[in-house]
Amino acid sequence: MSKVFVTGIGMISAIGNTLGENRTSLLQGICGITKTKNLPSRHSGILPFGEIFIDTQTLKEKWKVTDEGVTRTMLLALHASQEAIQDARLSHSQLIANDTALVNATTVGGICLMDEFFRDVNKESNGSPYLSSYEMASVTRYLRSLYKINGIVNTINTACSSSANAIMYGARLIRNGLASRVIAGGVDSLSKFTINGFNSLHLLSTEICTPFDANRKGLNLGEAAAFLILENEEELKGKKLYAELTGYGNSNDAFHPSSLSREGDGPYLAMGGALASAGLDKKEIGFINAHGTGTENNDEVESRAMLRLFGDPPPFSSTKSNTGHTLGASGAIEAAYSILNLTHQEIYAGLHFKQPIPGTGLRPVTTTQRISLQHTMSNSFGFGGNCTSLIFSKA
Amino acid sequence: MNQMNTMETGQLKQQLKEQIIKFLNLTSVTPDNIKDDQPLFGEGEGLGLDSIDSLELIVLLNREYGIIIRDPKEGRKVLVDINTIVAYIEKNRTK
Amino acid sequence: MLFIHQTTCISPQQTFPEKDINLEYLYESSDNKLKARDPGYENIPANQLRKMGKSVRLGMGAALPLIPKDPKGIIIGTANAGMEESIEFMKQIIDHNEGILSPGTFVQSTPNTIASQISLYSGNKGYNITHVHAGMAFENALLDTAMLIKENPLNTYLVGGVDEIGTKNHNIDRLQSWYKKELVSNIHLYEADSPGSIAGEGAAMFLVNGNKTNAMARFKALTTLYSEDEDIVAGRMQWFLDDQLRTGENIDLLLTGENGDDRLLKFFSACESIMDNETTVARFKHMCGEYPTASSFALWIACQVLTNQALPQHMIKKGSIKKEYKNLLIYNNYKGMQHSFMLVSKIS
Repeated sequence: MSKVFVTGIGMISAIGNTLGENRTSLLQGICGITKTKNLPSRHSGILPFGEIFIDTQTLKEKWKVTDEGVTRTMLLALHASQEAIQDARLSHSQLIANDTALVNATTVGGICLMDEFFRDVNKESNGSPYLSSYEMASVTRYLRSLYKINGIVNTINTACSSSANAIMYGARLIRNGLASRVIAGGVDSLSKFTINGFNSLHLLSTEICTPFDANRKGLNLGEAAAFLILENEEELKGKKLYAELTGYGNSNDAFHPSSLSREGDGPYLAMGGALASAGLDKKEIGFINAHGTGTENNDEVESRAMLRLFGDPPPFSSTKSNTGHTLGASGAIEAAYSILNLTHQEIYAGLHFKQPIPGTGLRPVTTTQRISLQHTMSNSFGFGGNCTSLIFSKA
Repeated sequence: MNQMNTMETGQLKQQLKEQIIKFLNLTSVTPDNIKDDQPLFGEGEGLGLDSIDSLELIVLLNREYGIIIRDPKEGRKVLVDINTIVAYIEKNRTK
Repeated sequence: MLFIHQTTCISPQQTFPEKDINLEYLYESSDNKLKARDPGYENIPANQLRKMGKSVRLGMGAALPLIPKDPKGIIIGTANAGMEESIEFMKQIIDHNEGILSPGTFVQSTPNTIASQISLYSGNKGYNITHVHAGMAFENALLDTAMLIKENPLNTYLVGGVDEIGTKNHNIDRLQSWYKKELVSNIHLYEADSPGSIAGEGAAMFLVNGNKTNAMARFKALTTLYSEDEDIVAGRMQWFLDDQLRTGENIDLLLTGENGDDRLLKFFSACESIMDNETTVARFKHMCGEYPTASSFALWIACQVLTNQALPQHMIKKGSIKKEYKNLLIYNNYKGMQHSFMLVSKIS
């Protein structure tokens, strides 16, 4: 089976419009979560969000998009995928080749336009320009037609682990010889739909989230897009190599639709599965980008699962304290951060942490530092018990 | 005086059971099946409701009785059985 | 790629449970909809059933008979599962002006609910994923499963396709002319000279592994493409056949997703024209209606034809009933853009 390397990364989040800007913000410990008043929601200005401060119209102008029916989610995906493609220097002929695949993930898709969707679905209008934009596959279809992709195209939705699974699927396409290069990642934009959904579950904190802190009060939603270019080892001549994707594990917690089991079977099995597929011993993982949403349930269960698997877990933290929880994009942006850890041999401070959770005693890394790293792990766990862990290794 | 506030406790229990069945879509249960001291949560003796149902019941108490419970943990103390909920409604209802 | 050992299907026709399958009788559509025949779901615990939307019921209902075989993973393709619950939750957001909202429909609104409910019900902690890529959702689920079997040759997996008729497809897809404006019965679906099809729904599940012994069919290969050009689509089909068939091998049955939409006929004509007179051409969308994962119904039909060596007369478009069906080619087309070819063979 071919090895899988990361040769390009593109991303946009509340802490930066490019990979480089994101790294600078992480190094400076910048938190992009704010109580702004831009969102079309009653909770805007009251609840904190990890919002990207470029409005949809500006994004359209930046990318010279004139088509009606293009949503914010599509534009964020376009923005990040363009950077990734340019970063990996994929040529037009490579993009359109039969062995180039596109695997995207999203949870809101076109429902970022909730009010328009609701009007169209109830036939209160003759139909807005967005009729083709609501289905889950709409963002991927948009990218496919822009880049004229001829290989395998897919959209995955496993809630908050969606884009970790998109990266895993992309890597497996390469390992199985079904693609030579894959554009894999995910996107979600802030939506009245998800804001009210998570709020109805009492999972949104009214303050900035404090992952792994004893007094954590919940998560903050954010928006982001990130894409990785994955390539097989034959494609690498003269290319910049960020990292090798060496392991992945996918497991279901089989416990509850919206919370994790006490002992964290799903997270434990996903992390363990990733180690097994990479052929690594647990001692070889140098850092974990934890799922760390800041909810009572996730952080305690994830801590317990890390203790169960590692005994003495490696350094870890959650970059959701910088970006908020970006749902369908979180697996991909955190994979990108885990790769930055490796390429620059540095780890970033987890923010807003004060006291460890009683019973686990685990403390996330709270100072940015240089460190020698060979392998990093990125965790993503979602509603429906869908847990996925990825392992990246120094190229 | 608010007419609903004068409702007898027995009547209120019956009404609440009907509301719970409707709100949670408990199609296999009738009000007569629910005992006043039967635990709502947990399998076996209980009705088998789960943590999402408890959030639903908090919404029900808000919509029907004008009660606001902000902390779900507080809710779990109230949402033990029909007796405990009715006692809480009688004390805290605003409609 | 993989071997199919057991299948189930809940559809608008008499396809469930297995002992009651009757494909000769055709249930009629009403109001341009072919709704799945509800099997009752007695085996699903009441406290789970009361929260499930239609897609989840269809998926769980179809998966239940296969769960005792303890698959090592659950792979679901669905384009629209959770859409109806999303709409219900939106209505609540609007009606209550983002106030205190009931979370049940939000939790059920995510499409991975089918795969996760199956795993929750059966305590299955293995691989679990949901592919949602519209008309390619089931195809990607199959491809994923084929990779899993290559990676873990001893494992058995549950793979399925599920979609429901909902407010979203019936209003938004209709605004885009994907459903017929005039009333058309499924019995006369292919005679209509107009755009659009009739709506359908269903769930088909497959227990698959890499072991030929006692299998009911062999899923040999799959190819997918995106094009609005019928010559490119037919060209891919020719390439696929040249690549997959050995000299002397023939396609006995071409099963197409023709759906009564006159705009899409060109694709089916182009593909049929590649076939010689030896090949019987049959259709299935008058049985299940049009929905993004209808190719899972087609694969289920293919397994029926291969195991029973029988083909209902009402399915035949060209050619005759055969003595033997060895190689079946399924061609499906979603909205004139997403195309898939699946080659399924009798176990020799």
